[in-house]
Amino acid sequence: MSADNKHISKLIPDYLDNNLEPSDRKKVEEHLSECGECQIELEETKKLFVAFDTTIEVPSDRLTSKFDEMLQAEKEASGKVVSFFPKKEKSQWAGNLLKVAASIALLVASFQMGGVFQQKKSNEDMLVLRNESLQMKQTAMLSLMENQSASKRIQGVSYIDEFENPDEAIIDALANRLLFDDNDNVRLTASEALAKFATSETVKNVFIEALGKEKNPSIQIAIIQILVGIQEKKAIAPMKKLLEQEDTHPFIKEEIKAVLPKII
Amino acid sequence: METLSDEMIMQQVVEGNLDLLKVLFERHHRHVYNFLYKMSGDRMLSEDLTQDVFYKLIKYRSSYKSGAFVSWLFTIARNNLRTHYTRNHKNNLDIGVLDYKAVEAETNKTEEYSHLQRALNQLHPDDRELIILNRFQEIRYEELAQILGSTPGAVKTKVSRVLKKLRKIYMEPL
Repeated sequence: MSADNKHISKLIPDYLDNNLEPSDRKKVEEHLSECGECQIELEETKKLFVAFDTTIEVPSDRLTSKFDEMLQAEKEASGKVVSFFPKKEKSQWAGNLLKVAASIALLVASFQMGGVFQQKKSNEDMLVLRNESLQMKQTAMLSLMENQSASKRIQGVSYIDEFENPDEAIIDALANRLLFDDNDNVRLTASEALAKFATSETVKNVFIEALGKEKNPSIQIAIIQILVGIQEKKAIAPMKKLLEQEDTHPFIKEEIKAVLPKII
Repeated sequence: METLSDEMIMQQVVEGNLDLLKVLFERHHRHVYNFLYKMSGDRMLSEDLTQDVFYKLIKYRSSYKSGAFVSWLFTIARNNLRTHYTRNHKNNLDIGVLDYKAVEAETNKTEEYSHLQRALNQLHPDDRELIILNRFQEIRYEELAQILGSTPGAVKTKVSRVLKKLRKIYMEPL
């Protein structure tokens, strides 16, 4: 037959299976209507296909039940694994969260600790610095008070303002200035400096001693006023002694007379 | 579940939903069985081999990569059949050892059936396989090409040629 026919022959299976494009389908149908040979081929192929479709065997139920058994066995075998996984993953997830939380906590804690330590350290540093500066001032003060120049000694005495709680060395140094310094101004400044610590027993004794020794009237006045200010009874005896002394300045005597009743 | 494609179901199976294997079994076990039966003509053997195909589906589910599921399934079925014949006919590795007489003795069905089976058995096993697979509606030329390691065009031409041969055998008077 013609080449055309051969072409149609090739299309017959797809024609029967309904797999042809509408255009091809139309072509096949047109050809079939005028070609007896192809009609026979179509019929025979159709018979063959029907034979295929009608010889579908149905396997026994054994196959299905066997499959169910196999699937069940597999589910149990892998089920153990599967049931473990979500738990494991869950705990891992929670564990990870805990780890993250712990890390954050650790970070915050170390930051805080660092801050605390830093503060403590800086406080310590400050304290050390302050101590050092106090030490230096004390040294400077003490050495200044030993200086040849009276004005330097006054400057040293004035340093007392830097100390809230001066130690004995400073008090002794000031007392020495008050009792033994040649310069009136140094003694006067020393008396003013010591006046802040007049409540101390040592300082009181220093004043009483100074009152007996002091010849400069203005310093005497200053000491008298300090002693009256602290109402020191021990100061009465040296004051009376001053009244009796001939060389005592008249207005000192008047001052003593004026303040003596205040002490009592 | 009925509307999901085999491939989508298989994807879920791979992810661990083993129950869906039952759906795949229900959809395909008759076709696998019929393929094996038409190839071997042996019901018991076909059931055993079908069972083994689905056993392998369960066991090796994770080895399924994307691609047509039927191609994968029938590749397993083909290999099962080949392995069976290789094991049982060590001297003859060809699948063509399938004995016509064995099929004849086994056959106890309608005239139509034995007629087709006889015709099929006269084909070369490769041709027989091609035409049996081609007759399953679910296996199109693309899937067939995948199973046979060929191209859809080449498969189509071959199917046409083998069909013609089979038709002639089938139409011959007994």
